Amino acid sequence: MTTIIEARDLSKTYGDVQALSHVTLSVEKGALFGLLGPNGSGKTTMIKMLTGQTRPTVGSATVLGVDVIRDPVGVRGLVGIIPEQETPPSFLTAIEYLEFVAAVRKITDIEKKADWWFDFLDFADKKNVLCKDLSRGTRQKLMFTQAFIHEPELALIDEPLINFDPIMQDLVKDYLAGYVKKGKTIFISTHILEVAEEICSGFAILHKGTLLHTGPVTGLTARGEHLPSFFLSLVRKDRHV
Amino acid sequence: MFDLFINMVKEEWRVHSTMFGSLSFALFPVMIFGIAFMGSFLIPLMRKTLPAGNLALIVHANYLMLGIMVGGFGLLGNEVMNRRFGQASLLAYSARSLPLSEKFIFSNFVVKDTVYYFFLWVLPFGFGYILASPFTGVSLAATLLLLLTLTLSFLFGLCGVFFLSAVYARSRPVLWLILLAIGMGVGGLATMSGTNPVLFFPPLLLNSAFTWTNLFISCAVLALLFGVAIVLFNPESVGSEKTYRNSFAPLLRRFSFLPNPPFATKDTLDLYRSGSLVGQTIFSFLLPLGVIWFFLALLGPFFPPHGLLFIFAITTGVIASTMYTWITMFDTFGPYACLPVAVSTLIGSKLTTFAILQVLPATFIAAVATLSGEVTYLVPAVVLGISVSFYAVSVMAWLCGLSPNVLVYDVKVLFVYLVLVGIVLVVFTSVAFADPYFALLSVILVIPTWLLVRKAKARWDAVDPAGF
Repeated sequence: MTTIIEARDLSKTYGDVQALSHVTLSVEKGALFGLLGPNGSGKTTMIKMLTGQTRPTVGSATVLGVDVIRDPVGVRGLVGIIPEQETPPSFLTAIEYLEFVAAVRKITDIEKKADWWFDFLDFADKKNVLCKDLSRGTRQKLMFTQAFIHEPELALIDEPLINFDPIMQDLVKDYLAGYVKKGKTIFISTHILEVAEEICSGFAILHKGTLLHTGPVTGLTARGEHLPSFFLSLVRKDRHV
Repeated sequence: MFDLFINMVKEEWRVHSTMFGSLSFALFPVMIFGIAFMGSFLIPLMRKTLPAGNLALIVHANYLMLGIMVGGFGLLGNEVMNRRFGQASLLAYSARSLPLSEKFIFSNFVVKDTVYYFFLWVLPFGFGYILASPFTGVSLAATLLLLLTLTLSFLFGLCGVFFLSAVYARSRPVLWLILLAIGMGVGGLATMSGTNPVLFFPPLLLNSAFTWTNLFISCAVLALLFGVAIVLFNPESVGSEKTYRNSFAPLLRRFSFLPNPPFATKDTLDLYRSGSLVGQTIFSFLLPLGVIWFFLALLGPFFPPHGLLFIFAITTGVIASTMYTWITMFDTFGPYACLPVAVSTLIGSKLTTFAILQVLPATFIAAVATLSGEVTYLVPAVVLGISVSFYAVSVMAWLCGLSPNVLVYDVKVLFVYLVLVGIVLVVFTSVAFADPYFALLSVILVIPTWLLVRKAKARWDAVDPAGF
């Protein structure tokens, strides 16, 4: 198997706050990997470091063979990213934002590709609306589109389903499952455990910036365990420690 | 009302202080105080060449300008919330979650801005002047009066822009009518009285001869401007959707000769659709420069021949450099973080857009040179103004990266900015005064400008991009 993400001893401190502490993990090609953890556990920091948005205080990482510290822009050129909070630029329309992304990423045939996504995620009626006037759900659709429109080998998504209605959640879950079947890799961060159990092949649990566990979901189910109960018992135990 | 106000003040403080530490920000008013205190000792020297009335004029002009700039940056009608706060979640948005009306929140926002910037800028300056008064031979009563009239000047700038921007948000034709009426009124006053209409500016009148009537008139005009502006304030209706025909691709093709065309295209659409291009040009460029022109015109006799044009060109250059803040205020690095874009690329693209915008100051200086009958010196004046503008923006980019609006309040940043820009201003003012054509030597500023831009890109690529 080819290793797509390799993080070694990653740590990040913000002033006195230790956001991430000596995290080592790897993700193989074709995985739908879930990074799980309660609020403030360091999931977003981990994604930011893997995509070169923030530098680790200690440690190193490669993504698709590219060093995230030496070449953060190179990493972002290869992957698709959906940040947790960022929204598209206010004064571009939805279609203009996708054209902007296409111009930056040098994607060809953007109109055709954009139209497919507008239809697929059911927001074609919003293509000429200013991004600042879009609802949260529609913005999330747009951010989802910009992350996948160039069909990256790896997509890193922070809370992929958080603003979607149940119908859209179902559609997106199916899309993600189909995407990894094509040999691509997806790394998601979430605290919705049921979703992680349903779609992920592997997972890691972070708590207070420390990696508590990493392994395949099948390993759990083979032991008759469920991800939510496993997660809760592990995190609660760590809290008492 | 008071709780919301207090929390907005705290919030404003934290937005600034989190960017560069509470201490650095807290030192900002201390530095203003220091400048005023030490500057006061120069008054006896300056009086030998400038009458006291003209000194008062300069200081009042500065505070009127300050009010205009604060108002111009923050209060541009419909877009105020989005433009001021971007995607940050602040109390200005609390109408969505609290039982408070948009107008109520906006009134608090305006009062907060007034009080906040009064304590940040106006009071430290006045206090420095007051404390120095025993040593400078200026009476305490005169210093207290100056503090009052400077405050009024600042508020006239703030309220004036706030009023005009509220009108602008409602109806652009009405705004133009009001500006026309003001222009005609000022022109009529000048013709009838035969003096510069600036001398009728209420705070200046009050400063030269205090009367309760004058004070009442000043306060009444301010209250009227504030009141009308708040009544006119029209928050963009929640839920409305603005649609536009796709303009990105055609513009992208048109800008293909520029470096980083997608970013120049995006910036252009941002400026146009937010109303900022027109709004900022009026409120943060033309209006301040118009005011400066009136005030500088009074000082003409104290400059060497043609000196006024070159002082004005330099001033225009410095103000034009703040156009960099127009194009960086829309986005933090956040929206680009999911794309293969480095901070240095964004700085470069913002400077490209800035370069395009320099058509405005160049045209403006050329127009002033022509209208003032000094067309002979049009080229050196334009070269001087634009060279200063590019140099000042390179200093700004080096010191502040993509956050000039916020980092300007870091005392260390402001100090270095003032020193680096101040030295150049003094040198080239002297050079232009020596011989108008020597102003052409300012093209030499291209060297430090280029070096500073290079350093800016390396510096800001090496740190994690800042957000709120």
